[in-house]
Amino acid sequence: MAKPFPTLAIPLFLLSVVSLLSLRCGAFSADRPTDRRLLVLVDDLAIRSSHSLYFSTLQSRGYDLDFKLADDPSLALSRYGQYLYDGLLLFSPSVQRFGGSLDLAGILDFVDAGHDLILAADSSASDLIREIATECGVDFDEAISFQDPAALVIDHTSYAVSETEGDHTLIASDIFIESTTILGDEKIEAPVLFRGIGHSLNAANSLVLKVLSASPAAYSANPATKLSSPPSLTGSAISLVSIVQARNNARVLITGSLDMFSNRFLKSGVQKAGSSIKNEKSGNQQFLTEISKWVFHERGHLKAINVRHHKVGETNEPSIYRINDDLEYSVEIYEWSGSSWKPYVVDDVQVQFYMMSPYVLKTLSTDKKGLYSTSFKVPDVYGVFQFKVEYERLGYTSLSLSKQIPVRPFRHNEYERFITTAFPYYGASFSTMAAFFIFTVVYLYNK
Amino acid sequence: MAKSSSSDAQALIRSLRSAYAATPTKLKIIDLYVVYAITTAVIQIVYMGIVGSFPFNSFLSGILSCVGTAVLAVCLRIQVNKENKEFKDLSPERAFADFVLCNLVLHLVIMNFLG
Repeated sequence: MAKPFPTLAIPLFLLSVVSLLSLRCGAFSADRPTDRRLLVLVDDLAIRSSHSLYFSTLQSRGYDLDFKLADDPSLALSRYGQYLYDGLLLFSPSVQRFGGSLDLAGILDFVDAGHDLILAADSSASDLIREIATECGVDFDEAISFQDPAALVIDHTSYAVSETEGDHTLIASDIFIESTTILGDEKIEAPVLFRGIGHSLNAANSLVLKVLSASPAAYSANPATKLSSPPSLTGSAISLVSIVQARNNARVLITGSLDMFSNRFLKSGVQKAGSSIKNEKSGNQQFLTEISKWVFHERGHLKAINVRHHKVGETNEPSIYRINDDLEYSVEIYEWSGSSWKPYVVDDVQVQFYMMSPYVLKTLSTDKKGLYSTSFKVPDVYGVFQFKVEYERLGYTSLSLSKQIPVRPFRHNEYERFITTAFPYYGASFSTMAAFFIFTVVYLYNK
Repeated sequence: MAKSSSSDAQALIRSLRSAYAATPTKLKIIDLYVVYAITTAVIQIVYMGIVGSFPFNSFLSGILSCVGTAVLAVCLRIQVNKENKEFKDLSPERAFADFVLCNLVLHLVIMNFLG
């Protein structure tokens, strides 16, 4: 039995290596942004059909979805140091432990490596899912896990009118974040249906944003039991859908309602309580499509290339500047549109000429084809400066460019030869010499 | 009282003038040269007071050329004056040669320091 084994092992090993190489994997890198593989972890494979509309919107945009049960023993995000997927959708709120080699640390490393994550919880959310959310900066209602495992977001003023459900846990929210990058150019007319748990964001965290908030009358409690104490999570502090853009530009979407993605919610009409407007279709599909585009970098992903600087009139890049030189700085910025790099056109990119503090701060002007440039005079201070571009805008990846350049003072023969203010002194010295000469002549030839 | 003090001053000036008229022409030429040099120096100081001392080396060399040459001219006057008992043995040609040489050195220094 030992004999055939080694002879089979080598070709098998080679085959697996070759197949791995052919797998398209890698983070959203500027060179290979298309055709990305997503891993969808579910509690129950029935979600494939009950949420098929949402998944088909992803697949129609070119993503390969790989459905697996959350406790599948063959789960692995990476093999031999390379990631097998470019994004992760956790639609398994009740999983206690992931199968295979996946765990909390593995998922966090996945996000730290620059990959995207969509996390959907619901009232059955396990501690593991809550912990993943907390690590990303979002806190699900903690009171729930201790006192009331079935607490949902309830809103008695902004619920969706429905014949079947009367406990006002199905809420219709239209309090969106104001950003065309995140939610697309078209305004979402219909409210979004939501049913699940709410979460809150830490006010000190600058990387998380509330995309869909609850109305000021919402609170988080168990609809079946009487409230024994005031709810801990109330009002606009409740966020229904949040996003996190990490400093390495990985994007995470966290929401407390898996039902929000379901076909039922996507297709149903919605009427907000107290309003007479009846929408034929809820805003869920438009909302989820647009925000998935943002999460998977189809919008708002910038790249800055070709940083160039040179003296006015020259084309080569010098290694040192002199004080009071005139120089030009240019950079090209493009935005990924889902299929190609388009020029990014905006008027608020600034460059700093920085040494401990910015000596020069100028807004770059664009030629509308992605090239941003400006020219300025080197300040009258010598030292080692940096050209810094720090660009952070809501919904866009942050650009942080810096290029170091030394600046030298004048050489001794670069000063002006004759100083204008010293002309009287020059004149006085020469006139004294002339007077001396005339004096000697007069003195000698005087009888 | 005022009348007598003003007439005293006038008498003083008149006597100074008549005494000065008696000096030899050569000495008067030297005096004129000294006055010119000092005037130039004063003009430069006034200019520096207005504009500021930015190219300080130029200012110093301008002042030094005027004051230095004035000082050398005064030395020449002392040595050439026949009423001066101290320099009786020094020939006026020697004094003049010293004056010229020193002025040449002075102006060489001035040209270098002028910037």
